[in-house]
Parts: sequence; C-alpha cells; structure tokens
Amino acid sequence: MKELLTPRERFGLLVIDEPQDRVPVFPLVTAHAARVAGMSVRDYYTDGVAMARSQLVAQEAYGTDFISFFSEVGLVAEALGSQYDYPDDDLPLLATPKWEGLPRLSAEENRGCTQPAADPLRDGRLRVYVEAISYAYEARGDTVPILAYVPAPFTTAQQLVDQEMFLLGLLTEPERVKELLDYTTRSITRFCRAIIGAGGLPILVDPLASGSVISAEHYREFALPSEAEVVRYLHRYDLDVVLHICGDTRATIGMLPETGADLLSIDRIEMDEAIAGAGQACRIIGNYDTSAILLADPQTIEREVAEMVVAGRKCPKGFVAATGCEVPVDTPSENVRAFVSAAREAGLNPDYGRRRRV
Amino acid sequence: MRGWTDPASGRVSFDEWLELFDHVPDELIERYHYYGNSEAWSKYLFPPQMFAIYGMRHLRRLKFDNSLAALRMWGFVQNETERLFRARQTGRRVIATMGDLGAVPVIVNSFPDCVAFYPDCIWWTPFAMESRVLFDAAAELGIGDATCFSRAALGAFAKHSYFPDPDLVIASTGASCDDYSGVEQLVESFAPDMLWVEEPMRCDLRPSGPLEQLLVKEYERVVERMEKLTGHSVTEEELREGVRRANRVRKLVARLRELAFRDAALAALEMMVVEFGNLHYYSDMDEWTAVIEHLLATAEQRAAGGERVVDADALRVVWVTPPADPLLLTYVEDAGARMVGTEYVINQALEIMDASKPPLEAIAKSFMAASLIGTSKARAQSVTSQAREYGAEGVIISGIFGGSHCAMEGRLIADYVKAELDLPVLEFDVTSPSREISRQIGTRIDAFLEVLRSRR
Repeated sequence: MKELLTPRERFGLLVIDEPQDRVPVFPLVTAHAARVAGMSVRDYYTDGVAMARSQLVAQEAYGTDFISFFSEVGLVAEALGSQYDYPDDDLPLLATPKWEGLPRLSAEENRGCTQPAADPLRDGRLRVYVEAISYAYEARGDTVPILAYVPAPFTTAQQLVDQEMFLLGLLTEPERVKELLDYTTRSITRFCRAIIGAGGLPILVDPLASGSVISAEHYREFALPSEAEVVRYLHRYDLDVVLHICGDTRATIGMLPETGADLLSIDRIEMDEAIAGAGQACRIIGNYDTSAILLADPQTIEREVAEMVVAGRKCPKGFVAATGCEVPVDTPSENVRAFVSAAREAGLNPDYGRRRRV
Repeated sequence: MRGWTDPASGRVSFDEWLELFDHVPDELIERYHYYGNSEAWSKYLFPPQMFAIYGMRHLRRLKFDNSLAALRMWGFVQNETERLFRARQTGRRVIATMGDLGAVPVIVNSFPDCVAFYPDCIWWTPFAMESRVLFDAAAELGIGDATCFSRAALGAFAKHSYFPDPDLVIASTGASCDDYSGVEQLVESFAPDMLWVEEPMRCDLRPSGPLEQLLVKEYERVVERMEKLTGHSVTEEELREGVRRANRVRKLVARLRELAFRDAALAALEMMVVEFGNLHYYSDMDEWTAVIEHLLATAEQRAAGGERVVDADALRVVWVTPPADPLLLTYVEDAGARMVGTEYVINQALEIMDASKPPLEAIAKSFMAASLIGTSKARAQSVTSQAREYGAEGVIISGIFGGSHCAMEGRLIADYVKAELDLPVLEFDVTSPSREISRQIGTRIDAFLEVLRSRR
C-alpha cells in the first residue's frame, strides 16, 4: 500500500519533534545490501557505484526509511595507514595497525603540519563512500535520507594501534591516548565534511566504546569527549546527529546525551532503561537483537518487533524501529521483510493528519 | 562583522560555500535566531549543504551571493518549514493565506502571536528538491500536469508535513489565477476553517474607488474571522502598526531593487528571494526585517565601493513572471546577462501603502496595483517602465506550463514591449523539475543573449 509520507518527510518530522504517520523503520542494512543486490561483499566495499546500487536495491526491496552506507569500523584507520585484508566475500579485516603501540605524536603532527589528516578524496576507501553517497543522493535523495556511518575517534584509534596496547594505555598512558584521539578526530571531521558535501548525513559509530569493551569511567574520560567534539562539528551545520553504540550501554546510557547527539542508536539494553536514561533528551533508535534477525523465524521476529515498537514509542523525543546493530550479511530476506512489516504496522499513528475540517 | 569579512563580492558555487563556511566563526552561528528565541532549534545561519542533506538537491547546482548577509538570508528562508512547526509548538497561531500574494498577511500579522504564510510558495519545492513527490500527491487528488506548478500546495496540504495544519485558511479568489483557484477549492477539504476573499477585477478605464471599498469590506471579514479565532479585538493602532511594519520591509526591498538593478550589487537569485519575502516575510516579520537590513547594508557598501556581484557590463534584462526553476536565473547570469527589472506577478506586495489612510483602506489601495487583477497591458507597462529606467536590452518571459494566465498574456506582453521599445523578447515555458535546464531552453537563452550582444 502506498504510504502518505516519503521516508525523508517522515524523518523531517521526527527531528523537529512532530508526530509522524508511523514510526520510521531502520533495520541497519549495510553490507547485507550486497546479498540483496546479488554482488560480492568485496565489490560492495571497494566500488562506490556498486555500494550505492546495492543500497538502492535493498532500500526499495525492503521499503526501509533510510539508506545507510557502512562496511566496517576500519575505514578511517585504513586511510591513515593501517592495513587491511580484503577477503573475497567478506568484510575487510585489520591486518596490520599503523602503530604497534601508542605513538608519540608531536605537537606538529597533532596540528596536521607534518602528518596531514586523511584526505577523503584520495586515501583508502573513503572516496568509495563519498562516491556511493553522491550516487545514491542523485538517485533518491529527494525521498530517502542518505546516512553514512563514520567510525568515531575512540573506535578508530583502536584500529590504528594494537587494541590491547591501546586499552592498556587507558590505564598507563592516558595523555598519549588523548593525543591519539585528537589526531583521529581531525581526520574524522574532515571525512564528515566530505560526506556533508556529497549529500549524506554522518552517523557517528563507536562500538569499541561500549560497555562490552570499556568501563563507564573510561567512556567518560576518553570516548565521550571525542564523540562530543565530532558532534559539535556536525552541529555547526545544524545536522541531526546520530550516535550509534552497539553492544552494552547500560552503564553509560545516562551519559550519552552529554555528547550532544540528537538520536541514540542502541543495542544491548532494555528499551525502558534506555528511555529512562536518555529519552528526555534524545530520540531512541533500536534495538532488535541481530542474532534473532539472523536466526529466528519470521513469525517470531514479527511478534518481537511489534513488542519492541510498543515499548519504543514511549520515548518522549521520538523513536525509530531499528536493529541493535548491523543486519548480518547472510540474514534471510524474509526475516528483514518480517521486521519491516511488523515495525510499520505496530508503528502506525492513526491520528496523523486528523486535524481536518469538522 | 567581528570574526568575519566578506570576500570580494561575487557568486559562488555550492561547494565554494562549504569552503567559505569553514571560516564562519561559531559566535556568528550562535547569534542569529528566529522568533526572538534562544533555543538551539531557532538558529538558522547554516550553509546550503545542510538543506541539501534534507532533500533540497537543486541547491547543488545554483550559484549564491558570497556575503554573510546572503548566507543568513538563505539559511532563514530554507528553514521556513521547521519555523512554521516551531510556531505552532510555541503557541502561535498559524494562518495560511492563499492567492492574493501580499495583502492579507498585513492584517494577520497585526494580531498578536499569529503567523501568516503562503502555501503558494511551495510551488518552488519540487524544483528545489528535483522531485515529483508533491505533484504526484496533487495528482492523486485530481490536479495533474496540465495545471500550474502551484498545485504542489495541494500536495503539501495532503501530506501535513511541509507546514502545520493551519488554524485558518484565508483563500483569495476572483480576478486571480484560475488554476490556483482550483487548487484552493481542493484545499478546502484539508482546512479546519476556511475564509474566502473576493479579489475584484481592476478596470483601468474606471475609478478604482468602488473596488477598494469592496476590498475593505472583504478585509473587514478577515478581521472579524481573525478576532473570532484569536479572541482578540484588534485595534486600529495595531492595524496601523501592521501597515507600518510591512511598509518598512517594502521600502527596504525597494532600495535593494534599485541597488541590484542599477549597481549590480545583488544577483538575480537572491533578489527573487528578497522580493517574495514581501509576501509573508518567511513567517517571522521581525527577523526577516533584520535579514533584509543586513543584506541592504552589504549592498550599499558594495555600491559605494563600486563592487559588483555580476559584471556591470553584462547584458541588461527584465524578467517577467517568476521562474519556478531558480536555476534559470543562475544559468542566465552565467551566460552573461544580469537582471535590471522584474515583474514577478507580485506588484501588490512591492507597493508602499499610504499610512495616512485608515489601515484597511491603505491595504486595499495598495492591492489595486496587483499584477493579476488587471490587464496584460498593465503588466506590460510595468515591464517597459523598468526597461526604460535601467536601459534594458531585452526581456525574458518565463511562462508556467499549465498556468492559465500565462497561455496568452506572454504573447501580449511581448508584443507590447516590442512595439513600445523595440526590444527582443524571449518567451518560454519552464519545464518540470529536473537537475538541469532543458537543452532546448538553454539553447534558446544562449541564442537570445547572442542577439542582444549583436545589437550593442
């Protein structure tokens, strides 16, 4: 059935605190789009046009409310010098980080005098994303918001340095960690700027800042300030900023609004708890279990998604029905369809547009 | 402006504005708010990229004035949809005024906490978005491609997402655009409350007094309905103040037109936005006045310093009927012309009202200058008058495909201009929303400007 609003119109209402015709629906379809379009995952993340086309096919096939570009969190780190392997039909894998241990960055390097930030039009696969965004924007930018995941500084830093060394550094060399975060932030904001120029809305993604990886204290000291720095940059453009932290955020949910993010994309936390912790300040995006969407049967998915939507709609700032993290690459299409149809039905707003002539 | 100095005046591309915006200090972004509010949502000094991300794809093809004042203007104008919803959220009444293009908002804005806007102006949205979404929505309600682009307003009413459902719709009809009267009739099913206002046909051979009296009676009905809606008895002084405030904007815009047409101190695209601001002040009269003052200060400074936004030696052209596709203005200026006059069917909104008269009479009298209530000859005389004043070398008439008043009057205006001034005239219909100017129209513009060049 044809809907009254386009996804862009629906999202536009959400971000100005207005009711929508229904809850926006956003299973985080990223590299899974390659499967929908019948191409290899490697083609998806190495060819901007292929990435765009697969996302366009997936958005149309599923009727989701967003197009979202992402492959993996190493994107900026690769542009800065970390090396990745590209399996034939799987996502890139970190082969060699740029540094083994925490680097000693000189003041010049941190100011970008001798070590320029990543160039989105030249380095690594950043240009693949920019090309994909431009393509999709020209194709469907009038009706569908084009989102582009940007790995946050804290997550990116863990792709530039051996992860154990980095996490140890939080305890032993906090100042050097912070220098590294400043260094990554510079490249990330530059990447964001290129995304903005191409017509995409950057989503900040910081999975390695979740409670599954670090403590709440470390989150506050290291990850939160660098996330807030990127959010501040995006707010210069008046963009509605999504912060996605998959994994466990129970210990940090109350801090997340301090980043300034306008929408929080959450994963392993009860919806009621997320709303209580952040729902007065932020719209909540979430948080269906990605294992379930991969493995459960469509009927189960429909039932559970409907329950999630009922819970999520209690968020005073607004709600987007989403998965907690990316839809796994090999998820059966009928499961994604079950998610979308259940979320649409449970998220309908029967009062929308009712203020008519009496 | 502390922390910011305008670059040498000129037009910049979408990408170049992104570069310039890097140098805009945070302090300036924080400074400008609408509705006198201080919340983050009321800021508006943002670059075209922000609006492009939210769907305004055409911005990527346009060229913009590179001044801070122009950036401020674009941010303010592009922000209007959100502003109207915020108006409702902050307790203001939102009144849709339709069809008359400039008069009724003077009355509506005289009431406290009331915001008037023209859904008519949504006609630019399909072009700004390069999208058929609103046209398709209108088509489902019975108005298809054979009708003026203003049918987009019907689609917007149906969707409830381009502006809040108005508390009242005041629709003017009569001696007006037939297509739009049809749109207004269909809008009625979406309006919680609707008041129809009759626009009389002006006859240049007869005195206008009785027609003005008819309009005053109509405006009295508007006042009455607004009083019923708001519970506020408007005083004569409040209406006088409404006229004074509107005149303030109209005078600023008159001066801007002079600076643009005589001194090339502003480009055609910005001037079109400025002129249409006289209709409803983009839903915040006070802030729009400040925006215009800022723009005027920039233009005065340029004129005093001999700075031009477009080449002063460019071919001088008068433009008739607003182009639904703003890219046409960019295209024509890129091709070596500049605007020295406009007849955008909104003469009534440019006219200074006689503040010594009772307010409703003053509004009625100014409306008698309306472009569409009189003859085509009267419109043509407005064109020739401007053409003479600024030494125009040609006239471009951009018709509206499906617009009923365009079908014949373009030819009549062209004939009159040719007979009176012996100027070449180019007439074409603007085609449907697209990312580029149609090849045929582009070629015709190129050839037309070549003719003007050859006549020098």
